[in-house]
Amino acid sequence: MNLIEQQLWDYIDGNLTEAEQKDIELKIAANSDIKQQYEDLLSFNNTFNELEIDAPSMSFTRNIMERIELEPAPVALRTKVDTRIIFGITLFFVLPLLAIFGYVLSTTKFTMPEVSQYLTTNFNFQDYLTPATVYVFIGVDVILALIFMDYLLRKKLNAKL
Amino acid sequence: MKQELTDLELINDVLTGNTGQFAVLVKRHQRFVFTLALRFAKNREDAEEIAQDCFVKAYKALGSFKQTAKFSTWLYTITYTTAMTFLRKKRLDTSSINNEETFLQLENHTSAYNANVYEQQNSHSFLNGAIKLLLPDDAAIITMFYKGEQSLEEIAEVLNMEANTVKVKLHRARQRLKEKLQFLLKDEVKELL
Repeated sequence: MNLIEQQLWDYIDGNLTEAEQKDIELKIAANSDIKQQYEDLLSFNNTFNELEIDAPSMSFTRNIMERIELEPAPVALRTKVDTRIIFGITLFFVLPLLAIFGYVLSTTKFTMPEVSQYLTTNFNFQDYLTPATVYVFIGVDVILALIFMDYLLRKKLNAKL
Repeated sequence: MKQELTDLELINDVLTGNTGQFAVLVKRHQRFVFTLALRFAKNREDAEEIAQDCFVKAYKALGSFKQTAKFSTWLYTITYTTAMTFLRKKRLDTSSINNEETFLQLENHTSAYNANVYEQQNSHSFLNGAIKLLLPDDAAIITMFYKGEQSLEEIAEVLNMEANTVKVKLHRARQRLKEKLQFLLKDEVKELL
């Protein structure tokens, strides 16, 4: 479908702004081909408006009513979920939590422990330098070196390819 | 004179226990729902089954209907989904007129018309014949737009698409319908219009 046809349909459907409407009206008035195309589309539009809708069988409504008789009657959701129930549940949980919090606050003695006893400035490095830590250190270094070598070799291989 | 109740008033009646009022809603919308179902099912028996299922589903879910939108839009959404599910189940052939096989059918169809049948038909039957040759989606969009009193935005809601997509689809559907009409009627199309 070309642009002008789309514009003509939009004009017929009333989907254009006032400025666009004026623009298309000018085109229709100035160009006989566009005018003819517009008249054709308008005729088609009128034909589409005459489209008939079908009717189901005579027993259609009765069949549906028989089927829904077996169903529970629908109820509006807002009446199903009463707000008072929601507030009740909220209070049920919130009130005990507040009571526990209040009780904890009232029974707690707020004292600050002596912090300085946990802090010490004496740090002897020799205590930590054991053969085991040296082996772990060397082991980690070897693993890192192998990873690095692997990375380098892969990079070279990829460059060759 | 007794004033006709609106859809929303009828729904509220049903929700407050007057379930018999649902029959009024059914009678009011049955023809359009049935027609929409017919766009997908292609035969009356299946379309009637789809349409009945739609109303039963609508009845069951009536409590969840948000009364901010039109009842018809909500109902057509149910119809569209039910019809699509039906199509998937039945695996109906939904191929377009461009399909070679359909061309053959169309030729047979037109030859039947040529046998002095279509001279007796009015424009409605030609139009309905042409609309049956469209893809279900195209036929549904045209039906909703022209007969369902649905705006592009409402159709978009039913089909779960953007309004702009529906606009483009509507343009294409009309173009295809125009072609089908021209194909069916050849020279007579000008006289018909």
